[in-house]
Amino acid sequence: MTATAIRPRSATARRVQLRGGAGAWLFALPALLVYVMFLVSPALQSLFFSLTDWDGLSPSYNLVGLENYVAMASDPVVATAVKNNLLWTIVTISFPVVIGLSLAVFLNSHVYGKSILRLVFYTPSVLPLVSIASIWGWLYNPQYGAINALLRAVGLGALAQPWLGQDATALAAAMVPAVWLRTGFPMLLYLAALQGIPKELYEAATVDGANRWRQFWNVTMPGLKQTHLIVLALALIDSFKVFDMIYAMTYGGPGTATQVFGTYMYFNVFQYYKAGYGMALAVAITLVAIVVSIPYVRSQVREEAR
Amino acid sequence: MSTLTRRHLLGITAAAGLGSLAACTGATAPATQSTPTSVATGPIDGTGKKLRFFTYEAVQTVDMVKAVLADYDKKYGSTTTVDNLPGSGAAVYPDKLRTELLGGSGPDVWRIWGGQIGAPYAKAKQSLDLSAYAKKYGWGDKVNAQALKAMNFYGMQAGAPYLMRGLGGWYNKAVLTKAGVSAPPTTYDELEAMNDKIVATGVTPLATGGKYGWHVMRLFEYLLEVTAGPELHDKLLDGSESWDRKEVTDAFGLFKKWQDKKWLPNGVLGLDPADIEPSYVQGTSAYTITGAWTEVNAIQSAKADTANFGNFILPTPHSVKRHSGFVEGLMINARSANPDLAAQLIDFFISPESQKAMKVSSSTVKGAEPSATDYPLSVDWLKKSGANPFYVIQDQAFPKKEADGYFAIQSDVLQGTTAPADAAKKMQAIIAAWQK
Repeated sequence: MTATAIRPRSATARRVQLRGGAGAWLFALPALLVYVMFLVSPALQSLFFSLTDWDGLSPSYNLVGLENYVAMASDPVVATAVKNNLLWTIVTISFPVVIGLSLAVFLNSHVYGKSILRLVFYTPSVLPLVSIASIWGWLYNPQYGAINALLRAVGLGALAQPWLGQDATALAAAMVPAVWLRTGFPMLLYLAALQGIPKELYEAATVDGANRWRQFWNVTMPGLKQTHLIVLALALIDSFKVFDMIYAMTYGGPGTATQVFGTYMYFNVFQYYKAGYGMALAVAITLVAIVVSIPYVRSQVREEAR
Repeated sequence: MSTLTRRHLLGITAAAGLGSLAACTGATAPATQSTPTSVATGPIDGTGKKLRFFTYEAVQTVDMVKAVLADYDKKYGSTTTVDNLPGSGAAVYPDKLRTELLGGSGPDVWRIWGGQIGAPYAKAKQSLDLSAYAKKYGWGDKVNAQALKAMNFYGMQAGAPYLMRGLGGWYNKAVLTKAGVSAPPTTYDELEAMNDKIVATGVTPLATGGKYGWHVMRLFEYLLEVTAGPELHDKLLDGSESWDRKEVTDAFGLFKKWQDKKWLPNGVLGLDPADIEPSYVQGTSAYTITGAWTEVNAIQSAKADTANFGNFILPTPHSVKRHSGFVEGLMINARSANPDLAAQLIDFFISPESQKAMKVSSSTVKGAEPSATDYPLSVDWLKKSGANPFYVIQDQAFPKKEADGYFAIQSDVLQGTTAPADAAKKMQAIIAAWQK
């Protein structure tokens, strides 16, 4: 590949290369147009309106510079949202990835009924989020919910809580179904990747005297390196976008205890008639997500190139 | 090659994912204002014309609305489609309406609450000024004057009101009887005594849920009416008196008392009003604070005998008896292609015949009083409350942001993280910021 790259190319080859390049762009054009129209353009509009005092309905607005961004510093709900987003990201990345990997390793072994178990563990991933929120809302019901009923049945009634009705437990309670539904996808990716690791490597490791734990760390984990990359990148982005689970389960409450950037942005744009401020929130969370994601992606690519 | 592919994959995935965060606000160019330059006289022929009607009618009654609109189409030749979002409450429906107005042309006619829920549409000039139509069709003579005024925002008649709702206590007679309560309370002290008796039977007195904030707010606004009285209550709502005062602290104190004495459901703040409110019909709670719509939505839909239920004015110690209330009406899209036809539809819709055909239980239209056969409890409620003035329900008295701040303070008081006196101070800070 290197030799080909440095060899001086003839004019014909360059034309072929040019035509090939143009052809590639032509094929990419429809997707790019969609991308520009539905993603880049609204994002740029959001950036512009974040510099205005537009209420989201009126035909007029004023440019206010960075006023909306400055206002975030003194907004207590933004502080709550930052803390909640951080917690949400840590929990809903680490738990699904670890549990998904554990399940994949388990289901990749000789387990009876593994096809059914795969289906069982993956099913939550395909359920509509609002349905999940509704199901868990009932499970958490302080009076009739199954969770408190179970606690009472096993003599732990003292632990029964109004899970979604108090600041102390509401966010954690919303995280549980999020972990539940987000475990299936990494499990599936890890399962596919595990089946690609040559059995000979395990046989050789066994011959070398490695126990299962050593095999996991020295054979399985290196073999899953590329999958880790994909799973973590997708999980990170997904966590920053959290909106629907919080909106449907707690509506940001009690009070503002479970507000995250996504819901608070939505409330400002669509309910408070403070579209400029809401869009400033959207821009801020995007910048934070970029700052967090880019170094990670680069480090992974660099490591892979070694 | 493989590294390049992965880099691309990661880059594109990350860019798309992150970009969607900023793009999801989906800003579009703001709508331009239009007002009716001229109003057609005489009947409007709707042949070949289309209208879209957006509402939040209950599933139990939406077919009656559709039937009335079908009659209108039959009479004038138009085609009206009904888009319904039942049971969403004021927390969700305005979001969808607003999104429709910004993301496309929006409905021609929409139903909306009054106060600070409907006002933004007038302020943003998304709704048409109906003054000329009100004059043409004589709505001033047909509709309750107080209701008509309640949908006049920023100097324009933004809506045509057809519902005026008052809130009171709606109770299950069997639960009260079991608790040894022979009649609903007529004083606040009697209400507290009744609560104690109901709790003693193992039943929750008040069915209310704090998810969204507005339902449990109904209790607090009542307690504020008790402690502050009509005059001060109104001044608090319009910001002309400070909230940092004894009467407000007392109201927050009572609010906490209701929680501490288990007069509210366990875990009240996490409960969805749609789930908990009907529990008084099931008998797992004694009463709720609601309006006459509960007769259809909760009692009749459960096929329960209306004779087993009753209602009462929430008692206050003041000479002027008031209850919480609000209006609902219809607005016309400022960008509607057929505003004259839409206005004619509204006039048809709010006619006594149509109101009766839809069995509207709290109509603002003269001659459209509910039937005692269809709605005995609603008729009874109107007899008790009809002559009383009402104060604006508090989620319509404040803009949504301030109302959410208000709900957050109520939530903190119930959880014991904010003392009543601090709650009064915090509420004053919210009102002061709003007044600026």
